[in-house]
Amino acid sequence: MTVTRRGLIQGTLAAGLATMPGVRSLAFAADGSPDVLVVVFLRGGADALSLVAPADDPDYLAARAPELRVATEGPKAGLRLAQEMAPAIDFRLHPEAAPLAELYAGRQLAIVHAVGLSDGTRSHFVAQDLMEHGIGQEGELARTGTGWVARWLDGDGARPPGPVAAVGTVAAPPATLARFGAAVAVPDLRAGLAPPGGPQAADVLAALHHGESPYERAARAALGGLSAIDGHLSRGPDGKVESYGAEGGAVYEETEAGRALQTVARILKMDVGLRVACVDVGGWDTHEHQPGRFANAVGQLSRALAAFHADTVRYHGRVTLAVMSEFGRRLRTNRSQGTDHGHGGAMLVLGGRVAGGRMFGRWPGLASHQLDRGVDLAVTTDYRAVLAELVGPAAAARAFPGFRTPPPLGLQTG
Amino acid sequence: MTLPPPPLPVIALNRLAFGPRPGDAEALQREGLARWLDRQLAPGEPDDAAVERHLADARLRIRYAAAEGWAAMDEERTLASLDKPIEALWPLADNRKPMPGAERQMPRLEVAAATVIRAVHGQRQLREVMADFWHNHFNVNAAGDQTVAAALPVYDREVIRRHALGNFREFLEAVATSTAMLAYLNNRSSRAGIANENYARELFELHGLGRGAYLNALYNRWRDVPGAAKGEPAGYIDQDVYEAARAFTGWTVEDGAGLGGDVRLPATGRFTYVEAWHDNYQKRVLAREFDPFQAPMADGRRVLDLVADHPATARNLCAKLCRRLVCDEPPDALVVLAARVWTENRRKPDQIARVVRAIALSADFARSWGGKVKRPLELVASFARATGTDLTATNGLLGELDGSGQKLFGWPAPNGHPDIMDAWLGAAAMRRRWSLLLGLAENWWKTGAPDPARHFSGPVAAGPAVDHWQRVLFGRDPAPDVTAAILAGMKLGPDATLAPGSRDGDARLRRIAAFVAMAPPFHQR
Repeated sequence: MTVTRRGLIQGTLAAGLATMPGVRSLAFAADGSPDVLVVVFLRGGADALSLVAPADDPDYLAARAPELRVATEGPKAGLRLAQEMAPAIDFRLHPEAAPLAELYAGRQLAIVHAVGLSDGTRSHFVAQDLMEHGIGQEGELARTGTGWVARWLDGDGARPPGPVAAVGTVAAPPATLARFGAAVAVPDLRAGLAPPGGPQAADVLAALHHGESPYERAARAALGGLSAIDGHLSRGPDGKVESYGAEGGAVYEETEAGRALQTVARILKMDVGLRVACVDVGGWDTHEHQPGRFANAVGQLSRALAAFHADTVRYHGRVTLAVMSEFGRRLRTNRSQGTDHGHGGAMLVLGGRVAGGRMFGRWPGLASHQLDRGVDLAVTTDYRAVLAELVGPAAAARAFPGFRTPPPLGLQTG
Repeated sequence: MTLPPPPLPVIALNRLAFGPRPGDAEALQREGLARWLDRQLAPGEPDDAAVERHLADARLRIRYAAAEGWAAMDEERTLASLDKPIEALWPLADNRKPMPGAERQMPRLEVAAATVIRAVHGQRQLREVMADFWHNHFNVNAAGDQTVAAALPVYDREVIRRHALGNFREFLEAVATSTAMLAYLNNRSSRAGIANENYARELFELHGLGRGAYLNALYNRWRDVPGAAKGEPAGYIDQDVYEAARAFTGWTVEDGAGLGGDVRLPATGRFTYVEAWHDNYQKRVLAREFDPFQAPMADGRRVLDLVADHPATARNLCAKLCRRLVCDEPPDALVVLAARVWTENRRKPDQIARVVRAIALSADFARSWGGKVKRPLELVASFARATGTDLTATNGLLGELDGSGQKLFGWPAPNGHPDIMDAWLGAAAMRRRWSLLLGLAENWWKTGAPDPARHFSGPVAAGPAVDHWQRVLFGRDPAPDVTAAILAGMKLGPDATLAPGSRDGDARLRRIAAFVAMAPPFHQR
């Protein structure tokens, strides 16, 4: 189905606010299953100008060494994106992102460019903290102990989160889930999640952790979350967890992104009340040797996203995936064949309900006077505007208090 | 499961050491904390005899299949990298040479094995605690980079351990000129023209002034930073990062890189300074003018001076030290006290030892308990120490530690493993804590297990056995609810007899030790 923005807007006028693109909240399907948001965080600051490149922009050509640009022609030419965000510029995906180009052409993938923080930090750790806590300014950090997803789910009186409402795929739950009691951090399911030592140990562990200290509460939440997931893992006659059978011809590679998204898909299909999954993918801090490292990282990420999308085809009506990073990288390349920390970045939004095949946002340009502090891609869309649109206004009010949500970009088809 | 705090010697041995061995708390009580600190902080031999013996006896298995360029391998090796100079390790970093990844990773495994052995058996416990602190403060990732892996033994030996209790300014320069850091934060490829900012940024943000002093969101120009006009800026902004990056151009590694024409650097892995790659023109860092064309390395050294002497650095480092040695949220007054000692002693060769001593002897140190959770390495070492296990480090144990979230020398980001409780309490991480304890108690990884005969001279009733392990592992009187929980879960009556030396008796006594160690009091620091 081809959906134009104009058609959508006319439709919403007739149907009322509830179906307006972007105002549709992540809510519940007709059978009561919750909608699911998967947030993929690219740790280290992904170079948005190589991922979604303004390939023929003269300022881009002037500032970047050729091997750190996406080309418009030749064997390594980028993959051209049909878009109306900045029609005069030939935006191209990195050549290793062919699976993403296909999803974009199939209108499952949308891109928001020049997105990020309004704060001027170029620190990984400050920028990640701001985004994970869902705030805009460093001054707010000291008084914001909770992650934005924690505020969203914890405040949901209509549907209190169950034991597996939020999953993180690294050993330490990300700050996005900070102070969320029911976050389950599980990097891998393949060896099972039952506590070691069999039922005897499980009984002892349950009896040992009945107090209210943070440690004991965490232990109880872990025991609950682990057994809720482990109980749904199918096992062979030898007691070993059976290997996961992906659907839709999906193939997950043995990469950080592949493993993590396979874990998310497997838990999603257990129907245990998953609502948010936080996936971390590292390797984006390309100060040095960027061409090979970035190509590798983009290829792995693209294939993992495509595998997840194919595998979860039965869930496309209620799963949306967003890809973000703490910042983009410097326009000008350094002499290590790399790029240093920058500012504006790009976000990807993937799913069956996404108004895909389009680029969103406002392109600020790359001339010196258009750059943030004279060096970096400026931010014209706050990262919270994208997330708020995906979770809907009621949840956004809890997740991002004090953030004035701009008019919806129209990222979802309703 | 909330117990009152244990006595001071137990607190001290859990936070200034990797936990008490039987008798350690009583010995510290007799000696007094101040004299114990004198001994622990005094300069001395790198390793004692027990450590030497365990290091010599340790074996790690290396196994890989044959492929183009190499034959199949399956053998056990000693920790041979630990004493090697960089020149001998450097061939492991050569990516033109075909070599299985397992060979390139061996130095990381060996240093990890040595770290576990020293934590368990070393007499110089406080130095081991501080080596762990500094490895995280000056983090490098040997799991993700073969150059860092090759350089890790030298980094551990000549940089981290040598300076762990020394002078911070000297430490900073040892790090800045180390092969491991030059590779990890890319300064080795930084050149005049457009310098690589990676090292300079983390020098300010992580190694020195700290993110609290990063004022880029507030100020665009260096002269707007409060205090800049007097040459005493309150913090730094990106303009300082740009300029500091220029100051370190030319600080590099002899890695065979071309110097122009047919001339190349030798390929030894040693530090070198290449004048032709240095940006010689004038600079301004932290509101101080640098004249053009300074002597070799003078620009970079001056940046290190400015970073080491900045009040924000004293504050940042002392807050981190207090977080490591006292609690996750240390009282401000303690940080201020430590920062004063830090600053007063900043020209002394034992500056860091003096600060550690001041923190350890403070009232806040003795008062606080349970404000931290043990990280997996502390969990492993303290269990082995308390139970008197003659532990050796094996591939299996190191693999389990990797999976626990504390992959030693393998944390990808430059900030090091987190040092607050929340980061270690994820569901899978909790499961790994319990696995580590049960696996050690039952010798899953051939590390050596606790010997019940060392603890029980003859048959013992289950109730007193649980109580015994609590005294040993918690360093204080047993908690009745722990005893009840374990006996009920194991379906043992308090009077059931367990005989050490018998297969069934040993199995149950070891399992009781693991279950006691799984109880919350053993996880607190």
